[in-house]
Amino acid sequence: MATLRFDKGFINAVLSIALKTIKLRYKNSVLGIFWSMLNPLLFLLILMIVFSKINHIENFALYALSGLVFWNFISASILQVLTSFIDNSSILKSMNLHPFSFPLSAIVAAIINLLLVLIPFFIIMFFLGYQLDISLIFFIPLLIVTSVFVLGLGMLLGTLNVFFRDIQLLWNTITPAFFYFTPIAYTPELVPENTRHFLKLNPFYYFIECFHDIFYRSEFPNWTNFSVCVLMALLSFTIGYWLFKKFRKGFISNI
Amino acid sequence: MIELKNVDICFYVQENGFVSLKDFVLNIGKYNFLQKKFVLKNINFEVKKGESIALLGKNGSGKSTLLRALSGIIEPEKGEIIINGNVAPLLGLGVGLEYELNGLENIKLSCALMGMTKQETKKLLPEILEFSELGEAANWQVKRYSTGMMSRLAFSIAIMKQPDVLLIDEVLSVGDLGFQQKCLSKVEEIKKNGATIVFVSHNFKEVERMCTKGAVVNNGVIEYFGDIQEAGKRYHELFN
Repeated sequence: MATLRFDKGFINAVLSIALKTIKLRYKNSVLGIFWSMLNPLLFLLILMIVFSKINHIENFALYALSGLVFWNFISASILQVLTSFIDNSSILKSMNLHPFSFPLSAIVAAIINLLLVLIPFFIIMFFLGYQLDISLIFFIPLLIVTSVFVLGLGMLLGTLNVFFRDIQLLWNTITPAFFYFTPIAYTPELVPENTRHFLKLNPFYYFIECFHDIFYRSEFPNWTNFSVCVLMALLSFTIGYWLFKKFRKGFISNI
Repeated sequence: MIELKNVDICFYVQENGFVSLKDFVLNIGKYNFLQKKFVLKNINFEVKKGESIALLGKNGSGKSTLLRALSGIIEPEKGEIIINGNVAPLLGLGVGLEYELNGLENIKLSCALMGMTKQETKKLLPEILEFSELGEAANWQVKRYSTGMMSRLAFSIAIMKQPDVLLIDEVLSVGDLGFQQKCLSKVEEIKKNGATIVFVSHNFKEVERMCTKGAVVNNGVIEYFGDIQEAGKRYHELFN
């Protein structure tokens, strides 16, 4: 089986698949990339109407938007990595391209897409009262750590999904539950103190809180939270890649 | 040169489906939930540089699986596959084509999927366009192509880079008569330039023209390996 080599050809393949994915997503649609913006904006509106009464914090709109944008990135990109093997089954079966290129190009496509929508969102955040701060540069390492986590978790679920298609359906079902389990529509302070620590059982809590720190609180992420993010990213990638490597020889006959 | 030594190739299939999700969780890391199925057993043969061989056999006998193993898509369970030089697998025409993109964009994409760099693609682009004879249709979305045009595009992309080893799985009979002739002569040109060719086809006339040796694959084993005429005879005997 092809060994993984990060040579020019491999990088060109990964980038080409990623750019193709983005191109195809918005082709033949009039509003194009704005669809990626409309979803969080609509959700923001809903959260503002439904939840702003109970959230007694300053500038709830900015809090909700900064959470939503990155929650959308995380949840959508996990799904894209998860389905990447099955989406490319015909290529997997008849071209000698390393199968790692599919999850990798899925996360690259998701990152490019995020950066594209982040430009207008950043302008909106300014209008909602974002205070420019040096901590903004920490967005880049945080994005990398988040992407590694997503890639690992997506590959773990994606490998299982080749053999049990329930995984994909299961993930679609529990994603909304995770949305409400993560402090996006509410702040952690709103949860009664004796049950608040349950929030910390959710891995997404740490990532979203770090994004809140940068884009809502205009400060560097809480270092404990960020360390947890790094640890989870390493763990998720190690397990995800290990599982993928172990079971990829079953891919061809099960896809 | 291609050399196969005691090669076994297996598929891993789930026989029990959902029931085994529990087993899988309990036995995580072990292979219990996937049953091993031998597709090819104890395959031994050698193809010298510049030689062409044909794989003959019934549907489902393992010919395509053997080609996949030769191209590196499947790892053999046991044994060794030694191949010198770069391999160009023509296993499925049109795989990787995106219907919403135009011909030109698809050429670039397919070349990337085949592992070419941007510079290599750029160099081959005019040749591919010329060989495909698509003309102005290269700027159309591929979904507007006829089946024949699609095959022309796919074949032109797949064949344009001179490989050391060319693997062909029943993909030569595409397009109209003129294009078929062109494909065959292109393959012959590649052969003349020193490439080794492994060829799967059910069209014995084509096989005779291209290959000097043949292998008859039946039920996962090679029943005969040698002269093409004899191989053809044995292949026909399978159906009597």
